[in-house]
Amino acid sequence: MYAMLLYIDGGGVVMVKKSDMAQYVNITIDGKNCIGKQGDTILQIARANDVYIPTLCYLSKVKPIASCRMCLVEIQGSEGVVLSCQERAVEGTVITTDSKMLYKHRQNIMKLFGVNHPLECGVCDKSGECDLQNKTLEFDVATQNFCAKESDKKVENWGFISYDPSLCIVCEKCVRICNEIVGESILEVAVGGYKSRIINTNKEADCSNCGECMAVCPVGALTNSEFKYSSNAWELERIPATCVHCSSGCPLYYEVKPSSTANREESIYRVTNPFEFSSLCGAGRFAYDFANKDAKKDKEAFTRALKAFEGAKSIRFSANITNEEALILQKLKEKKGYKLICDEARNYQKFLAAYSMVSGKSLYSGDLATLKDSDAIIIFGTRINDDNPMVKYHISMASKWHRARVAYLHPMEDVSMSKIVTQFIKYEVGSEEGVVALLANAFLSDLRLSDAVKEYLESLDVGNLSAESNVGEEELEGLVNSFEKKNTFSFVIGADLYAHPRAQEIAKVLALFEKYLDCNVILTPPASNALGVALICNLDDEDVNEQSIGYNVKGDFTLGSLGEVDLDMPALNQQEGTLTTIDKRVVATHVALPFGGYVLNDIANALGLETEYTIDYTKELPKRSGYKAVEFDTLNHEFSKEGNDIRGYLLETKDVKIDEIFEEIEELPAYDGGVVYWCNEGIHFTYNTLYKYPASKYLKGSKQFAVAMKISDGEELIFENEKRQYRRIFKLDETMKGTIAITSSVTEPLEVSSFKNYRYTLMKLQEDGVIR
Amino acid sequence: MSKTIFSTWRDEFVDNRYLSGNTCQVSSFKLPRDYSVDKKSKAFIGWDGVAIFDEDVDVVRLACEYAAQYQKYSEACGRCAPGRWGGRILYDLLDKIARGEGSQADIEHLKEVSETMMITSKCEIGRTTPKPILDLIEHYREEFDILIEKQIPSKDYTNEDINYIAKVTAPCMDMCPAHVDIPAYIEGVRDMQFDKSLQSTRQTMPLAHTCGRVCPHPCEDACRRANLDEPISIMELKRIGADFETDHSLPWQHPKEPQPFRNDGKKVAIIGAGPAGLTAAYYLALEGIKVDIFEELPVLGGEVAVGVPEYRMPIEKYNKDIQLVTSMEAVDVYTNTRVDAAKLKELDSEYDATLLAFGTRLSKKVRAENERLDMEGYWGAIAMLDKVNLWHKYRIGSPVSEDLKDKVVVCVGGGFTSMDVVRCAVREGAKKVIMLYRRDEKTIIRNTTYEEYHEAVEEGVEFIFHSAVERIFDEDNKLKKLLINRFELVPSPQGGRAELVKIEGGDFEIECDYLIPAVSQSADLTLLPKEWDIELTSWGTLQTNGKDYMTSRPGLFAAGDCEYGPMTIVNAVGQAKRAASVISRYIYSGTISLNDDEIMEDHLRELNVYDKNEKITGWMQEQPREQSKKLSVAQRVDNNKEVNLGFSGEEALAEAQRCMRCYYISMAVV
Repeated sequence: MYAMLLYIDGGGVVMVKKSDMAQYVNITIDGKNCIGKQGDTILQIARANDVYIPTLCYLSKVKPIASCRMCLVEIQGSEGVVLSCQERAVEGTVITTDSKMLYKHRQNIMKLFGVNHPLECGVCDKSGECDLQNKTLEFDVATQNFCAKESDKKVENWGFISYDPSLCIVCEKCVRICNEIVGESILEVAVGGYKSRIINTNKEADCSNCGECMAVCPVGALTNSEFKYSSNAWELERIPATCVHCSSGCPLYYEVKPSSTANREESIYRVTNPFEFSSLCGAGRFAYDFANKDAKKDKEAFTRALKAFEGAKSIRFSANITNEEALILQKLKEKKGYKLICDEARNYQKFLAAYSMVSGKSLYSGDLATLKDSDAIIIFGTRINDDNPMVKYHISMASKWHRARVAYLHPMEDVSMSKIVTQFIKYEVGSEEGVVALLANAFLSDLRLSDAVKEYLESLDVGNLSAESNVGEEELEGLVNSFEKKNTFSFVIGADLYAHPRAQEIAKVLALFEKYLDCNVILTPPASNALGVALICNLDDEDVNEQSIGYNVKGDFTLGSLGEVDLDMPALNQQEGTLTTIDKRVVATHVALPFGGYVLNDIANALGLETEYTIDYTKELPKRSGYKAVEFDTLNHEFSKEGNDIRGYLLETKDVKIDEIFEEIEELPAYDGGVVYWCNEGIHFTYNTLYKYPASKYLKGSKQFAVAMKISDGEELIFENEKRQYRRIFKLDETMKGTIAITSSVTEPLEVSSFKNYRYTLMKLQEDGVIR
Repeated sequence: MSKTIFSTWRDEFVDNRYLSGNTCQVSSFKLPRDYSVDKKSKAFIGWDGVAIFDEDVDVVRLACEYAAQYQKYSEACGRCAPGRWGGRILYDLLDKIARGEGSQADIEHLKEVSETMMITSKCEIGRTTPKPILDLIEHYREEFDILIEKQIPSKDYTNEDINYIAKVTAPCMDMCPAHVDIPAYIEGVRDMQFDKSLQSTRQTMPLAHTCGRVCPHPCEDACRRANLDEPISIMELKRIGADFETDHSLPWQHPKEPQPFRNDGKKVAIIGAGPAGLTAAYYLALEGIKVDIFEELPVLGGEVAVGVPEYRMPIEKYNKDIQLVTSMEAVDVYTNTRVDAAKLKELDSEYDATLLAFGTRLSKKVRAENERLDMEGYWGAIAMLDKVNLWHKYRIGSPVSEDLKDKVVVCVGGGFTSMDVVRCAVREGAKKVIMLYRRDEKTIIRNTTYEEYHEAVEEGVEFIFHSAVERIFDEDNKLKKLLINRFELVPSPQGGRAELVKIEGGDFEIECDYLIPAVSQSADLTLLPKEWDIELTSWGTLQTNGKDYMTSRPGLFAAGDCEYGPMTIVNAVGQAKRAASVISRYIYSGTISLNDDEIMEDHLRELNVYDKNEKITGWMQEQPREQSKKLSVAQRVDNNKEVNLGFSGEEALAEAQRCMRCYYISMAVV
């Protein structure tokens, strides 16, 4: 039944049925019998089996580049050498990875890489972690036989990134990453033989500044311009952590060391990441300095805090907290009867619950790994490049690797997605319930459906919905046709929908896609740990004007890590705990910098909860929501050798009682006039990133918007949303169209990215010229 | 013609330096000994060796210039370490020796770096460039040694009268009639820079959608990968870039920034808006030259529009190729404009040059008894396909199903057109569709493609091989049945091509409603003014020299099927591209000329770049060719949906990864 086959996957050994053997391939590498998946390259199989083959340009997360030529190997019975990074293994091949001949050629290649490479390792940032340095030593290149006339190469600065072409070995990793993963294609190789270099085609407009190129650079050519010359790589201590800026929860390392010989206080020098397998956006990579540094244990403030807690009726908080903190708040609610108010998570919680009612599952089906392997993708109700760059990266990979059809449904066009998107479908603001009904009708009506669903679809007045939402029937037909013959269908949902007046009805219809089309549906959590908060806390709806505690949002008594607060709290890089990611994975983050003040657990203990450490709550996270009784210290922080995300653990999806009741569609609202879209453009998702990526003070809009609102470029506006007043300067953006303007919701600490109400606000021009 | 003094081309070894008279060896290759009518070659050097035709050639400078050409190429690439630096070092060392500053150690370094380049370079250009240089060092060592010993420059080191003319090619590029830079567009796919891929294709091929779908891909017969396992699926990879532009609604990806419209009074007339006419218009317009296209039909696109069926070449995609051309400021088109002799004379006098590109649109007869064009049920393939396509693609006319539904249709053919006829007949609801072909299955596959034949069989077309129509029977001028002869192949006693011999008593009859002859087409030459007395080929097409595409009348050019006879789209594109280049110079200088690149292109074609016996090393064998998905018979047989769904992303990337980038540099010394 089972062959003697040990396929190593994610650190585990898989027994393979004989009938499935065709999916695997057996090869011999340096006398070792190795097994890989059909289609794997020789190098992939070698690495999975712990056989070393030297490389300089190979990067696991992109397709083989094949520029360095170091990974050559010999094949028994065939002349010459082949490149192990790009050749797929063939059953029975016998491979030699090291021989005199291979050594000599690799040594010669290293000599060539060394031609005119400046001998400045002593001051180079990369020294100590440089692939060129390592390989030069490994292949014993002590002298340089070759030389060539040098060309004039100048250092360039691209935002946070500095590029030194004379150090560049043109391995092309940066170009690949920019194109394949980030989806920007901003970096290109300027070919020119030995004068080849990398160019930034978008220097003026500022590239997306993700720093991915810098992360993958094997030499000192692309460096962090702030980090430059500030430390040797080997002096830094790596703290494994999880990025806290959005719900993707990307792995990263805070690299710390004492600030100076005089000041032994540690500071974060830079952020790095396991770049072979995962990525970071600029927020994660550059906005790391948000710690609450100088806080002391202020006993008086602590006493005031306890008093405030005793008198408070509700706790308002942002979803930028750990699972453990969320659990503490929940426990406090249970003990003291507080109302828990979290605008960022509450709507999402209700949306998920409605979704589950139809899907029958406690969680949505989708994850990012499946998204990147999709060949048909719908993006609906989110400006995804701004809301969650990591989701966009995965869509970019799908676009590049699988020629994915990508349909982007939104009221506003997004030029940053143009090379990824294959069909943009514009709908009217507010018409989302109609749009989702039209989608369901287009994709599902030919399937075998339950009576309730059938009835719902039959009741639709398609012509009317189409007219009201402005989504043409032929557009939808084109969409459905283009998805024909596709294998993997993903559906990315975003924050426009969660606070929609008809959110629950929308959620129910969306669940049909998971249920009937086996679709990879991702309900992008609208804030870092919105999913965790939604699963851990019993959140409340009403925010009556009673005495409140604010945790990282404004309250009558405010706790927080940034801004004007009544009691200092640690930032998320000063805490240990877990986060629940978009992938429904529970991952750990660790303390990068110490915190001198009180933490939430101190308050909870003073209020009678009595648990020594915050992370003692990790094993207590609610099992009914899919969490496991796992000790914090046992959580894994590494990827598998094959590059799979095996950090922490995955939430368990529970079965939920199905209740398919669909309401009749409400008349689609009309948003006549100027509309504001709340969107934190340019990767500043939270107040934590503001110091690095200042929020725009502008309300950006088209000429049409300006005319409709009778305003002009540069004019200051005051308007309200959810009883708060916002002050913005109007900026005319010639590239924009229509009557929707865009502005940030987060411009200072204690503001949140996601609101209680719908993400679009109708603006009304008042008599006094002030917009309401 | 000069004789070959020395040659190491393709493993031959000719050395006549010390021999004389009839003891001299001759080279067995068509090396370019005469560069052009008035210029002799002194030497030819390339990927496969070096040949010397003039004993005075300065071989050290020859080696140095060849390395310089590599260096120049590498500056257009430079994408692997050995090529990037190795090429530079190779050139620096050779130049050092040539200028009289070299040492023996330099020669050793040269050999060392050459060896690593030959084994580890990314593309064949890096792997092959050292070969002829090493050949020269080996066989002309004394010329190197003397410069090193005496520290003097080589004799022609500063001679500026000698021209070193280089050209980069590849076996597939050479075989492609349009010489498309195939490795470049495949590399674009491999790099996932699909827009760059398309720009590479469009350097010589504006019809990327079309030739990514319906090209018979002669290039794949010259793919070196076939020497190892199977050829690259070159054609289908072309479609990836074109689809990318369309899918993402990108601006037109031109191969270079189009020149501003010159508006200098010079203008070119093109007769026919088929592949040849569109191609010539595009490349003239890219240079900013005014072009007017005159098209007889109400639609643009020529035979590809009204001949090639929708299920093979969706008009929506072809229209993208057409719009690329018509979007050019310098191009104007006039449809429904038939050019007759009077009109042609008018154009000839009004325009600075005229390109005839009207194709071959007269269906030839099958040569049966009682074959009459006016017989009901006798329907020429071109007319039939016109009607099919005008209806399905443009809603002009009426559906052919009104004619063919539940009818028995017999087509006589064996080429692409006949395949289109029978497969369209199936889709129009014919009860039974029969293809009669004189020769066998193998030949029909060779004349079309395996896929095309296979798909027709799947769709239910009945193929009767070794058969021909002897007589057509009618009742009241309505076609009723056919008398068919059967043949067999009898091997020729001389060992030549087998002969078709009629089988006595093998005749049979087929009752049918339609006979559609699709044996071949001829050009309608009535537009040529008699008094011009234009020279024609023996098969009734316009005569040119096949290099500059000018007819016997100065200023009158011809390209595509009307020049060559019914042939492929890619052939028309290649001819028209060349014609456009010649015309772009002719309208200003009044003389006919080819540039060096074109001269070299023709020499290389003559020499034949692809060597089917070459042994390939450095690549894994048994990496199978990717197969794109097709609609099943049930999904396609009653409609016009595109049958070939094209490569998925992963298939395209895997297939592009198989390409060995067989670029070569060749160089002639003149």
